[in-house]
Amino acid sequence: MLTGGAPCQTEHITGMARSLLAEVARMLEALAADGTTSSVDLRSLPMTEADRQQLEEALGRGEVVAELDLAGRSTVWETRYPGAWWIRHRGAGDKVSSEEIAVCRVPDILLSHPDDVAVAARRLKEELGGLGEEAVATDVAPAGQSSAGGIGPAINTNQTKPEADHG
Amino acid sequence: MADSTRRKNRAKQTLGEMLTERGVSRRSFLKFASYTASILALPPTAATAIAEGLAKARRQSVIWLSFQECTGCTESITRASSPSIEDLIFDFISLDYHHTLQNASGHAAEAAREQAMEENKGEYLVVVDGSIPLKNEAYSTIAGISNRQMFEETAEHAKAIIAVGSCAAFGGIPGANPNPTGAVAVSGLTDKPVINISGCPPIPEAMTGTIAYLLSFADIPELDHLGRPRAFFGEAIHDRCYRRPFYEKGMFAKSFDDEGARQGWCLYEVGCKGPVTYNACATLKWNGGVSFPIQSGHGCLGCSEPGFWDLGGFYKPLSTAKGDALKYAAGAAVAGAAVGVASAVAVRSKRNKVMSAAKAPATPAEEAK
Repeated sequence: MLTGGAPCQTEHITGMARSLLAEVARMLEALAADGTTSSVDLRSLPMTEADRQQLEEALGRGEVVAELDLAGRSTVWETRYPGAWWIRHRGAGDKVSSEEIAVCRVPDILLSHPDDVAVAARRLKEELGGLGEEAVATDVAPAGQSSAGGIGPAINTNQTKPEADHG
Repeated sequence: MADSTRRKNRAKQTLGEMLTERGVSRRSFLKFASYTASILALPPTAATAIAEGLAKARRQSVIWLSFQECTGCTESITRASSPSIEDLIFDFISLDYHHTLQNASGHAAEAAREQAMEENKGEYLVVVDGSIPLKNEAYSTIAGISNRQMFEETAEHAKAIIAVGSCAAFGGIPGANPNPTGAVAVSGLTDKPVINISGCPPIPEAMTGTIAYLLSFADIPELDHLGRPRAFFGEAIHDRCYRRPFYEKGMFAKSFDDEGARQGWCLYEVGCKGPVTYNACATLKWNGGVSFPIQSGHGCLGCSEPGFWDLGGFYKPLSTAKGDALKYAAGAAVAGAAVGVASAVAVRSKRNKVMSAAKAPATPAEEAK
């Protein structure tokens, strides 16, 4: 029952889930045969809540579940059928902003993008550079004092403590 | 570093570089792209192309001009919500002028507009909400500049123009009978292609999705015969309405509190304009997907169609409505044909007709005569 006393047919099963399951089966065959990846945008389909629930229950949950924190929550899980992934993105107010079934080995959203990897390498290197400077600073610091801050100083303190003790 | 130098350096950065600096990962781009592909009715596989396109794009300068309007369109696009993936669009654009939202006022505000036009000549987007009065240009001015003059000088070197809201797209409420200010749509005042995103107000996703499309593909999305993106205006409300089965069975609410209304039957006989209204309300819905007018028990007003205010009454069925309702119904039937961006000749012809109807000088030069 919805607002204003206007019932919406959200409780009815229309048969859409069964059609989609057949579609997913065909997509899995293609992935197995020649690696063809494909996906279905669930939001664009005229599915009732009951259809959606039926589809989710039929596909079930497999071995992998990933939670992503990207400007709102996202959940990705592999269904009971390896290669068929359910991707649910949430946006404002934790409402579902997009939802799809992706048939692939690993969804793109789980892969680290090469540009992000390059930035990560650069950042870690910079932090290690900072680590060297911190190590010197800790060496000359009075006993019992340690640097506060992020990851670099925390590692630094642990690594340099034995030297400080020996010194 | 001077502000202008800093701004120019920032303008050289791609969105990917800029957001990486701020710790926004490419996964966020992909998430935004999945959401955008979905609202644009593109296949999910297009998400990767959108994400890559956005990452390579430069931050888009946007000049937002507000004329005879109520600020409802701005309210819609800046809808109050927690920061989320939908709001990433505001990182992709540089809103260089918007007289309701910007900090600067008076001469400083106008200087910001002129600076954005100068620094991004031929590259900036102009977004307009509100119609433009031609009967007497003094009816609506900003900083002593008439709406028409401001629009024409800003549009001259724009990359594209987006008319948001039914006032900018079709004249809207200011243009309703008897149209005391001689209000016209912006498309009648320029030779440039105009993307109309109608509605009173438009659905926020229709505005942000169109801008995201322009940035990702550096192209104008497919438009209908009224210059509206078909992704959002390709289907009638009626076609995607969950009450449609009741229409097919002839089960209609006769008044707003009868048994039919309580049972959620079709609202056609209490004035719903869904059959002749093209918009995405029934699928994207409003307030973060909570509901839309019909779901809340009220018929569609037809606010995204030309002349919606003069369709003969919000509570009269289409079959008895006066005005141009049936004309629009006929127009809706041919909406399936993709027209794309109208040719300059057609636009110019329309412009001349608008000028003639408003009995206004067509150009500032003619005005000077």
